[in-house]
Amino acid sequence: MSSLKSPPMSRGARSRSLQMLVGLALGGLAGVGIASAAKAGLMPDPSSLTWSQAGGLLLAVMLGGAGLLVTAVSFSGRMTARAMDPDGNGAPRPGQTSFYRQQGIILLLAGLMMGAPVVAQLMFDPVPHMLASAIMMGLVAMALVQTAFNLSIWTQADEMMRRMIAEAGAICFWVLQAIFFLWAAAEVLGLAPKLSSWDLMVALMAFYLVTSSVLSIRRGFA
Amino acid sequence: MKNRLKVLRAERDWSQADLADRLEVSRQTVNALETGKYDPSLPLAFKIARLFGQPIETIFDDGEA
Repeated sequence: MSSLKSPPMSRGARSRSLQMLVGLALGGLAGVGIASAAKAGLMPDPSSLTWSQAGGLLLAVMLGGAGLLVTAVSFSGRMTARAMDPDGNGAPRPGQTSFYRQQGIILLLAGLMMGAPVVAQLMFDPVPHMLASAIMMGLVAMALVQTAFNLSIWTQADEMMRRMIAEAGAICFWVLQAIFFLWAAAEVLGLAPKLSSWDLMVALMAFYLVTSSVLSIRRGFA
Repeated sequence: MKNRLKVLRAERDWSQADLADRLEVSRQTVNALETGKYDPSLPLAFKIARLFGQPIETIFDDGEA
């Protein structure tokens, strides 16, 4: 009787599996941390948050956590090569670590920007004017820095990555403009509850992340 | 769009990473080109043709002929 053995896992599959395990572990730790903090009264009970507050915080933790991880990995040429191209031969390519680090910084800034307004609102309701102004100035500064890094990524990216970025933007626009229009019309007609601009922003960011992830996987970037 | 990129690459014993370096694109772009998941822009198609020393029409086939 022949023994049924599954073929050895490819290098790319091993790399992806490891990334998933690390992500799951970090996500689990974050979940335990948040639950413990809520139980100890250090943060509001998550069940008391609005969906966009919870969504904003979730995105902040995901983006910020991913940003920290990517930035840390970017200090190793081999790990960067493996993370950026799981199916590649693992040899670092020139400029790869810098490119990956910039992506890490973009993610980290996105996490901070998503989290800051919600955390401020939860800690001080209402947020004192001076503090709100200081946070707003910080957000503007972070947005400008992030825009600069995004432009840098765009100029360094090859044509397929640029097309992916453009496609993600186009899909987001066409899908969300239809959904937002229908919701806005329903709101005007009294058929749907009002949405705040933060609600719309969280929905937009979540949709964009899903869209760009799907496009990346389809093109072999993940 | 079908293409002979993989064949031309193999004839020269180049890896996808080697070809990517020569075309100044990522390895994933080369893989996507070879598997037909991505069609190159005109400048990249000309670059590929010059690299392999062949006309674009002998490398890429849009199936219209």
